[in-house]
Amino acid sequence: MTADVPLLRITGMTKRFPGTLALDDVDLVVERGTIHGLVGENGAGKSTLLKILAGDYQPTAGRIELDGEEVHVSTPRRAHELGIGIVYQELSLLTNLSVAHNISLGSEPTNGLAIDERSLVDSARRVLDRMGVAVDPEQKVGKIPLAERQLVEIAKVLTLRRPRVLIFDEPTAALGQADVDRLFRIVEALRDEGVAIIFVSHRYREVLRVCDRATVLRNGRVVAEVACADTSVEHLVELTLGEKVAAAFHRDWRSDVAGEPVLELSGLEVGARVRGVDLSVRRGEIVSVCGLLGSGQNQLARAVAGDAPDVTGTLRVKGAAAVPRSPRQALRLGIALITENRQEEGLFPDMPVRSNISISSLGRVLVSRVLRLIDPRRERRLAAEVAAATGIAQAALRRRVRVLSGGNQQKSLLARWLMRRADVLVLIEPTRGVDVGAKLEIYRELEELARRGAGVLVVSTDILEVMALSDRVAVLCQGRVARVFDPRHATEQDILLAMQGAPTRAEVTA
Amino acid sequence: MSADASRLGGVRTLQRAVVADRARWLAETLGIVAIAGALLLAFSLTSSQFLLAENVRNIFVQISVVGVAAIGETLVMLAGGLDLSVGSVVLLSEVISADLTATHHLAWPVALLAALGAAGGIGLLNGVLVAVVGIEPILATLGTLLVAAGLGQRILGLRYLQVTNPVFNDLAVKNVIFNLPIMVAVMLALYAVVAFAVRTTPFGRMIYAVGGNRRAARLSGLSLVGVTIAVFVIAGILSGVAGFLNVAQTGLVSQNDGMGMEFQAIIAALVGGLSVTAGGVGRVERTLLGALIVGMMTNYQTIKGIDPSFQQAFLGGLLVAAILADRLLRGRQ
Repeated sequence: MTADVPLLRITGMTKRFPGTLALDDVDLVVERGTIHGLVGENGAGKSTLLKILAGDYQPTAGRIELDGEEVHVSTPRRAHELGIGIVYQELSLLTNLSVAHNISLGSEPTNGLAIDERSLVDSARRVLDRMGVAVDPEQKVGKIPLAERQLVEIAKVLTLRRPRVLIFDEPTAALGQADVDRLFRIVEALRDEGVAIIFVSHRYREVLRVCDRATVLRNGRVVAEVACADTSVEHLVELTLGEKVAAAFHRDWRSDVAGEPVLELSGLEVGARVRGVDLSVRRGEIVSVCGLLGSGQNQLARAVAGDAPDVTGTLRVKGAAAVPRSPRQALRLGIALITENRQEEGLFPDMPVRSNISISSLGRVLVSRVLRLIDPRRERRLAAEVAAATGIAQAALRRRVRVLSGGNQQKSLLARWLMRRADVLVLIEPTRGVDVGAKLEIYRELEELARRGAGVLVVSTDILEVMALSDRVAVLCQGRVARVFDPRHATEQDILLAMQGAPTRAEVTA
Repeated sequence: MSADASRLGGVRTLQRAVVADRARWLAETLGIVAIAGALLLAFSLTSSQFLLAENVRNIFVQISVVGVAAIGETLVMLAGGLDLSVGSVVLLSEVISADLTATHHLAWPVALLAALGAAGGIGLLNGVLVAVVGIEPILATLGTLLVAAGLGQRILGLRYLQVTNPVFNDLAVKNVIFNLPIMVAVMLALYAVVAFAVRTTPFGRMIYAVGGNRRAARLSGLSLVGVTIAVFVIAGILSGVAGFLNVAQTGLVSQNDGMGMEFQAIIAALVGGLSVTAGGVGRVERTLLGALIVGMMTNYQTIKGIDPSFQQAFLGGLLVAAILADRLLRGRQ
């Protein structure tokens, strides 16, 4: 344990999943008493690296040293024993237990037989005091605000006997500015105690503010390691983006006439996440909505498609005002949704591709209006038509959708809404988990849907995708539309900076 | 260039997956037929009575009641639920049909309609509890199991009810196809109708969709509430039909009728390839094969003079084995 040995040294870390190389020979060194930023786009490999450190994944190759000693983080329990703690972006607290119970979950103090409630509460109070946080340890977690839950999550990690490496995975995504400041004070206090801290965030200004050094990942590789004092947000943005496939996509067709607005939002609010959004989408137009994680873009998309509670404000579809209260209602209005969770929210894995496509248009494949049976020939013909238009191999139509690749599965969903003749198609992260070739095809299909007269609303965190695909880009910041860009007159940097809430030089077009 | 290469790779992967998919489907379908065939062969080789026309008739008569109830159970399981109230609904339907015809001397179609109405009512209650109130199917139907059983026993009192209406005798005795009686024909016809309907109606498609992925079904614009309630109502009515047939088979109604029939129905569905953990997979007609397999096993044990209490334990073992097999098969995916 000499001072010149870094507290955490990762070398040659590689993780291969079937079909992809999530991490490719990654090196990372974090000195004791420093905060190290880890940045990169979604899918760059950050989560994989964290999961390896947490003992959730086993690396394909590579070595982890703590204090110069090689360690094997075989299980989450082992990570705990080694003093590696992670504060996850999705809170993992049990809402029906008290703060104190959550903090010492799994290692509750006992008095021989039962949990020793008093020392449980005492130890929780000690940790919270040390953090300078006034949260009642006996309160149920479900009853305290989100920002405080985040602090409880941190307190949980601090009960490690000897915290050596603490990892914060997008800890500020759900926090307001005052809470962010408080969080940073805690993180800095931990650093001063000699803990090595890894800080994962998409908010580059925060990274530059709080971190000493930062490592940039792209496509599973380290592209740069920088000292934060000598770096700008612009430089980090450049490093993160690199050259990507989306840049290879060029729109062939754009609606030159200003089509009638097919979707108009005004003052739309969704719970506390979307706070008054005005936005319209015309026929033949592709509009993207982007923002940092937690800026309200997903809630906005779901609200438009009838899949969110607490929606207020005005929503007009083809001129008629109606806020859909269920996806069923939204579909009747002509609004269809493809979410970021294809498997859980889109596909019927054991049904053939053809039935997956026709499920929302069964009324179109009946023998007749009186004899309401499915006419298999009609179904085959219509499904084949939309499959051809979306680039699904005809041979695939008879197979269970489960066996298709991510790209083809996504195309099946596009085909479903093409068959349904949706007027408004809302997509969240349309190309997540889709391979390069299929990505371009999906952009092509979205363009085709627009050409056929649909309005397309895309929520994406992939900036280059947004740039290449859209007619207009609306940037959300804290639940409001911060700026609207015409991507032909803006750069990725402009959009990324707008997402960070920074002023930009690009013109603002409504 | 790289996009092309990846697309070619994609096609190859798809082809491989398609082959594996086809093989799995064949294995599933032929598997059940093969098991039925193997049992048939083994039983007929080791028992001279097994294949006698009279015994074959017995097997079919014995499975017809459970067989009809299992159709409803299959639909519920396809939609991702489970119905434990089947046996009690059978009892309730028996009591109503017997009481109305024997005690109140009403015409049998009236009694049948009343019985099916009550059975459908319990099904409706199941559906509302599951789809609207949001209770787990297994718990909701456990509750209605007691409700229906209590109602049935209350109407029946402490008596045995002997039926008098000739329709019951006709159902069990009059042969219509080969030497099989009407009640067997009723069961086969119901399987044919339901299997056809599930395959060709939008409603059938929706059952598979709701059972296969509830979230996706909701986002696809299907009515989860509508489909769930409809499936439970149909299952209730089919249990009602099963009750009517059971009166025909035994000629009398007693307090313990229908007891445990839900498990026999579930076993038939499971042996036929349905899953208790996930809906959306399986075929109605395979449940008939499942019922037939269970029926042959039970019949063989009876021929061989095996103690009925052991037979019950055997069924329990079969239930556990079917669940384990289901888990092993699906766990691999």
